[in-house]
Amino acid sequence: MIDLKHINKWVNSGGNRVFLLRDINLNVNEGEFISIMGPSGSGKSTLLNVIGMLDEFGEGEYNFLGQPVHQLKEKQRSQLYKSHIGFVFQAYHLIDELTVYENIETPLLYQNINTSNRRAIVADILDRFNIVGKKDLFPPQLSGGQQQLVGVARALVAKPKLILADEPTGNLNSKQGEEIMELFKQLNSEDRVTIIQATHSERNAAYGSKIINLLDGRIEK
Amino acid sequence: MLKSYFITAWRYLTRHKTYSIINVAGLSIGLACAMLILLYVKDEVSFDKFHKNVNNVYRIVTLSKFNGTYHKDGNTGFLQGPRFAKNVPGIQSYVRVQSGAADLQNGQEIQSQDLLYVDSSFFSVFTFPLLGGNASTCLTEPHSIVLSEDAAIKHFGKTDVVGKTMMLKEDSLFVPFKVTAVAKKCPQNSSIQFEVLLPFRESEMDAKNTDNWFNFFLNTFVVLNPNAKLQTVENQMQAFYVRDASKAYKAMVEKYLNGYDEGMGTYFLQPFTDMHMSTELPSQNGLQNASNPMYSYILSGIALFILLIACINFVNLTIARSLKRAKEIGVRKVIGSNRKQLIFQFLGESFLLCFIAFAMALFLVELILPVFNNLSNKALSFSYLFDAKLTGTYLALFLVTGLLAGFYPALVLSGYKPVETLYSRFNLAGKNYLQKSLVVLQFALASFLIIATLTIYSQFNFLTKTDLGFDDRNIVEVRKPGLKFHEAETFKAELLKNPNIVDVAPKNDGFWGTAAKISNDSVMQFAYETVDESYLPALKIQLVQGRNFSKSNPSDATNSVLVNEAFVKKAGWKNPIGETVNFYYLDNEKYQVIGVVKDYHFVALNQKIGPQLFTMKPSNNLGLFNIKIKPGSETESLRFIQAKFKEFFPLSPYSYIFKNEQRIKDYESEAKWKQIIFFGAVLTIFISCIGLFGLSVLSAEKRTKEIGIRKVLGASVSNVVATLSKDFLMLVSIALIIAIPIAWLATDKWLQNYPYRISLNWWLFAVACILVLLIALVTVSFQAVKAAIDNPVKSLRTE
Repeated sequence: MIDLKHINKWVNSGGNRVFLLRDINLNVNEGEFISIMGPSGSGKSTLLNVIGMLDEFGEGEYNFLGQPVHQLKEKQRSQLYKSHIGFVFQAYHLIDELTVYENIETPLLYQNINTSNRRAIVADILDRFNIVGKKDLFPPQLSGGQQQLVGVARALVAKPKLILADEPTGNLNSKQGEEIMELFKQLNSEDRVTIIQATHSERNAAYGSKIINLLDGRIEK
Repeated sequence: MLKSYFITAWRYLTRHKTYSIINVAGLSIGLACAMLILLYVKDEVSFDKFHKNVNNVYRIVTLSKFNGTYHKDGNTGFLQGPRFAKNVPGIQSYVRVQSGAADLQNGQEIQSQDLLYVDSSFFSVFTFPLLGGNASTCLTEPHSIVLSEDAAIKHFGKTDVVGKTMMLKEDSLFVPFKVTAVAKKCPQNSSIQFEVLLPFRESEMDAKNTDNWFNFFLNTFVVLNPNAKLQTVENQMQAFYVRDASKAYKAMVEKYLNGYDEGMGTYFLQPFTDMHMSTELPSQNGLQNASNPMYSYILSGIALFILLIACINFVNLTIARSLKRAKEIGVRKVIGSNRKQLIFQFLGESFLLCFIAFAMALFLVELILPVFNNLSNKALSFSYLFDAKLTGTYLALFLVTGLLAGFYPALVLSGYKPVETLYSRFNLAGKNYLQKSLVVLQFALASFLIIATLTIYSQFNFLTKTDLGFDDRNIVEVRKPGLKFHEAETFKAELLKNPNIVDVAPKNDGFWGTAAKISNDSVMQFAYETVDESYLPALKIQLVQGRNFSKSNPSDATNSVLVNEAFVKKAGWKNPIGETVNFYYLDNEKYQVIGVVKDYHFVALNQKIGPQLFTMKPSNNLGLFNIKIKPGSETESLRFIQAKFKEFFPLSPYSYIFKNEQRIKDYESEAKWKQIIFFGAVLTIFISCIGLFGLSVLSAEKRTKEIGIRKVLGASVSNVVATLSKDFLMLVSIALIIAIPIAWLATDKWLQNYPYRISLNWWLFAVACILVLLIALVTVSFQAVKAAIDNPVKSLRTE
């Protein structure tokens, strides 16, 4: 599903090249649950963003579902990630002006799904995540755990093949974090959703089927 | 989708109230100004166009040379209308319109009524619908009178009055006039405004006397054949005029001008619709509401300024605000929005804001309209808005504003990269040259207007307060035109019996000008005043040489004149006393100069003091009494004067005015300008401050963390306030540096219009600078102080 070959990414700082990613080779198959570990600044988020096509890279090849991402134009790329990838963020990144229901509904709006279908899909997911009672609340009225639950629900609502989660439990207490990780695990095993998460925590990393360690932009073998 | 955009926009606006209010308030003020000006301009453009045949109606005007300079005149006399209409084939018909007044008896009371004398073709040339009566015959009979709706109500209390009679003074008797028609109220965008119409009459002699070609006192309008060519008609008019009037002209030149021939002058036609805004040939002499197009330009300029500034605020605030919205943009992009959709979303938001502002603006317009009418000398009404064209223009205004204010932010915001916004790597700090230059532009405009306001105020103050060279306090002016000297003297003697009346100085009514030969045979023009010996002492006008007229010197009346210093200077006299003035056209009547009067402002200060000559010539008429009363005796004196006036002149209308109030009236136009510029300046600075306030709020928000850190490191509140305010004050200072020289040039140019003016002082600019800086400082520091006293722990923790 994901095939990264010799990916390098750098920024220029004061005439020097500072490498954010150095010679990354990674192969992810559908249905995998991968945890990326590493200290702050090791390049976890950068790697996720490259995989999610939100960020560009300097050199290397990236094939996603058989498509050569490095050769695609901006528009095609965003088309690709919109239809296949859902994102979950450490800071949840919900839209404060929208209710829980509307936050979850928004990706479907952008995919021009008609009203009755939308209603059914959102109702279904609210039900599944046990947040029907919260659907008319605004994000600031929810606890961190609940916000992240909505974040995951939103990432899932468009039925992506891949979920990229950047420290999804970083802002949560351990119990909330555990619930989210259980949810990921369940999604992975029951819905066959591919998941790549970046995390600090050994315990959370252990939910994954494979752990990749990053240090200074390099995959540690 | 649309619903979702709308919901987000609405919630966003309601949640960030300060931001929304700033934006809506600014925009609605801007829009309201633009709407008012559109109303105004529409009215100006539509002036006089309601007459059905208006494109074929012209006014006969002339171009002639006098004393070496050409001037155009909109006035004509008895002959132009009938003779041209008869002899120039392209002219279908004509109507003469002469303004006048008549005394009208209503029970015991006698009122003076302004009216127009018009030919019977009046209602066929112009479109003034009648409520009653016959348009084609109502002005044919000599003692007919046509009333307007208002006049009918004023005199009879109803409009259904055709056939009733009214008493009007003709010569010295009140004579019945029959109401033959009642006309609807004249539209306010009409140059011809009338309450009462009387048939225009001329004597057989006047109609035949070819000398009357040169006697101008009324407006003549002609209707051309629809297919007549203007140029041809004008040529034929001129040819006929030369044929018809040459002989009379030559005789006149011989008789009055010593054979000094400057040409007969040229006739041409001015389109009726051009009169209203013509500066060369304005609507006057019975035609009203003449308007200087300069008003339109300045008003439009100010409105555009204000709308522009409001739009700048909108752009500035939206972009500054975008820091907060960057996250939302990132999220939307990540979950599937493309750029086009985001542009639509933000444009939609600005349109929503604009719509709210638009609704508010309509409300504001309704509210300000009375004030604006007063300022612009109009009677505009809100119902004008229902005109299709104007509604269209307003909609266009709405769309343009929405686009103008929304497009740039939409473009910028939709271009944000999601990764940057979502990982707080996003930084709008940059240089923000655009934002900064917009602030500078705003404040430069505001400063310019403030300086202009201060200058106009000082000049106005100068005009109304400066020493005129005479004492205008406690002087009551009472008019009674057409009095002989002895009549005036009897009335004067009667008034002086009252100890409250200090002095009475009769003079001629209105402004007379004439010409005479001075010693070396050259002809000179001057203002011609008929007075008696009380005039100079009553008004405390000083003599610099010679003596005043005197009762003890009976020959003064027939032999002597006084002149002013300007007269002496123009005449080039070394020893003015004893010089002669020769009224050559009055069989060489000669007068000796017995005294020189110190120049005083006998005309308003916006005109230079010209040569002036005083006479006591007994055959001249007097018509205006300057009555000096004891201070504090106003009520009694006025009652006394009125009683005596009624006793002496029972058939004349009485009215009075205090001379120093007259002075205020002289500067009505300046007063209006003063107010317009003042309002413009206040609005501009207000909207600029709203914008500055918004930016300072956002800047403080953006720098929350910085402020927190500074405070932890030991910065005091005043340190922080200084840090936050410094940048803005810098921008305002740059604005001042730009505005001052431009304002200096502009105000200096404006002041050149006045022969008597203030000199531009540095303190005027200093005051403006301090004012602008102070206003800006208050605006900015309000938010800065708030940010500075916030608890730093709170701001740092949220990062």
